[in-house]
Amino acid sequence: MTDENVLRVQGISKSFGGVTAVDNVSLAVKRGSITGLIGPNGSGKSTLFNLISGAEKKNPGGSIEFEGRAIDGLPPHRRSALGLGRTFQTPRLFTGMTVLENTMLAPRGQKGERPFVAPFRKRWEGQEIELAKKAQEQMTRLEIDKLYGKLTSEISGGQMKLAQLSTALMEDPKMLLLDEPTAGVAPRLAQDIFQSITDERQQKGTTFFIIEHRLEVLFKHVDTVFVMHQGRIIAEGRPESIVKDKKLIDAYLGS
Amino acid sequence: MLSGTAVGNICNVSAMLSRESIALAYPAISVSVWVIGLAFAMLAGGIMGLVVSYPALRVKEEWFLSMILLVGGETFRIVVTNTPQIGCGFNGLAGITTPFYWLSSYFPSGPLQAEVPTGLYAAVIVALALGCFVFAQKICNSPYGRLLKSIRDDKVAAESLAKDVSRVRKQIMVIGSVMAGLAGALYVYYIGVATPEDYIPALTFSIWVMMILGGFANNRGLLVGTFVITMLDRGSLVSGILLQSYLANLNPNLIVYGRYMVEAVILLLLLVFRQKGIFPETRIKTKAYTLFDFKKNNNAEPSNSPGEGPQTGGAASG
Ligand SMILES: Nc1ncnc2c1ncn2[C@@H]1O[C@H](COP(=O)(O)OP(=O)(O)OP(=O)(O)O)[C@@H](O)[C@H]1O
Ligand SMILES: [Mg+2]
Repeated sequence: MTDENVLRVQGISKSFGGVTAVDNVSLAVKRGSITGLIGPNGSGKSTLFNLISGAEKKNPGGSIEFEGRAIDGLPPHRRSALGLGRTFQTPRLFTGMTVLENTMLAPRGQKGERPFVAPFRKRWEGQEIELAKKAQEQMTRLEIDKLYGKLTSEISGGQMKLAQLSTALMEDPKMLLLDEPTAGVAPRLAQDIFQSITDERQQKGTTFFIIEHRLEVLFKHVDTVFVMHQGRIIAEGRPESIVKDKKLIDAYLGS
Repeated sequence: MLSGTAVGNICNVSAMLSRESIALAYPAISVSVWVIGLAFAMLAGGIMGLVVSYPALRVKEEWFLSMILLVGGETFRIVVTNTPQIGCGFNGLAGITTPFYWLSSYFPSGPLQAEVPTGLYAAVIVALALGCFVFAQKICNSPYGRLLKSIRDDKVAAESLAKDVSRVRKQIMVIGSVMAGLAGALYVYYIGVATPEDYIPALTFSIWVMMILGGFANNRGLLVGTFVITMLDRGSLVSGILLQSYLANLNPNLIVYGRYMVEAVILLLLLVFRQKGIFPETRIKTKAYTLFDFKKNNNAEPSNSPGEGPQTGGAASG
């Protein structure tokens, strides 16, 4: 039996002291879809992603299922090992490493990541070269290939977002949570980013769940949008119907 | 003969002398006890590393981690100092000869008698140290090295890439501790006595200065740092003693302990002028770079040159 939803969230909440950042949220994301998550600043979008990825612990109650499996008890690395990748709103890169090293780190199951295989170059070099070719294609598509040898502490904010996206895509996740992938990126490149997201979905069937404030770009590429306001999901629908909903637009633009 | 040194009585002078005479008379025993000793030291080091990795994994800040390790080491040292049953207490266990002590019987007199066994042993130590260095270089310039650096830089981000941070930290703690156990055992056989007084916290700081001097995450730099500080350490000891024979009024401690002042000055200068050490952190050298470096440096058709590319990390920004 295959469920058409890859991710299912049931009644989860998160409070920080008195603030309820995520308030009894339930939603489902269709396998292979590009799904948007929009809402005013502070409406709880990033917090929701943190709960799904495990970076933050949800309040007791509710459930998170990924591919039909309850994941809310798993530590973050186990969730991502299942194929649930993510990026961060403020890029979290490995600043002592170059752009290429950041990108090359991502793939799972690298033979040379075992301490007693690592000294034997021959046993992992073939895989390393394969991955490097893939990294090169990935970085060229995102136009950061020329930065390969730069430390990620030495690149611009927009370039950091691109480097992070490139790293996340290298992981070949089944589902990728992207927190504002185009924030701080030049408009033309923002289009390109969404184009490569669409391509990726086409080629690999990856599901994308994307927080984005650039609605004009987002709406061109998504199948479904969730609208979040004060910790709750207040609407769900196709982008055309969301745009028509005057009340939602007021809520979104009004705060 | 071995029963002459009954358990519980291994600390006195006659036990020490009989250890030395056994070492002189039985080469096979001498060498195999040494090998077994090294193996046990590595095992014990590994176990200690594993044990301390548990509290260490619970702390978020590296600072707390160093504090835990320092306090743990110091606690252990004080316990050993005050428990004569473990290692003969404050005075330590003496009469530990190098595994080649028996060679001295082939050189009945003259300077070679002492120099040959010690020199040979020093060569063995250098060889083992090189082995550790090569191992460290190899694991650093591999996907595992990438993994280690990523955890150093951002644990949360590494976890979001499915990296099992706790497991890797445990592994590297054990690997490091096995090496430290080996180093400790080699040192004891070199110096001839195992005493807890050799492992006061100042040693930790000397090692810390070696690291800062050489540069973080640069194994070659670490070799240089180690060389400089060790020369300072041994050199001050030897010159203190030598100078004493010329200048009767000189207090040798002035020179022997003066090295701590020199180390402190080195540390201060580094913190002011070169926070990252003398040698910068290097890239992780795997073949991955060849794809890129080649493109940048040579617009002609790529040949099958396996060159690793230049050390300089910078490419033009976009
Ligand atoms: N670690 C935290 N500690 C305390 N409060 C937090 C924390 N993280 C988020 N919050 C609060 O939770 C609420 C939702 O924050 P969140 O970052 O999820 O918003 P967002 O929808 O992603 O906003 P933006 O569009 O600006 O990124 C805010 O009121 C914020 O102050
Ligand atoms: Mg946010």
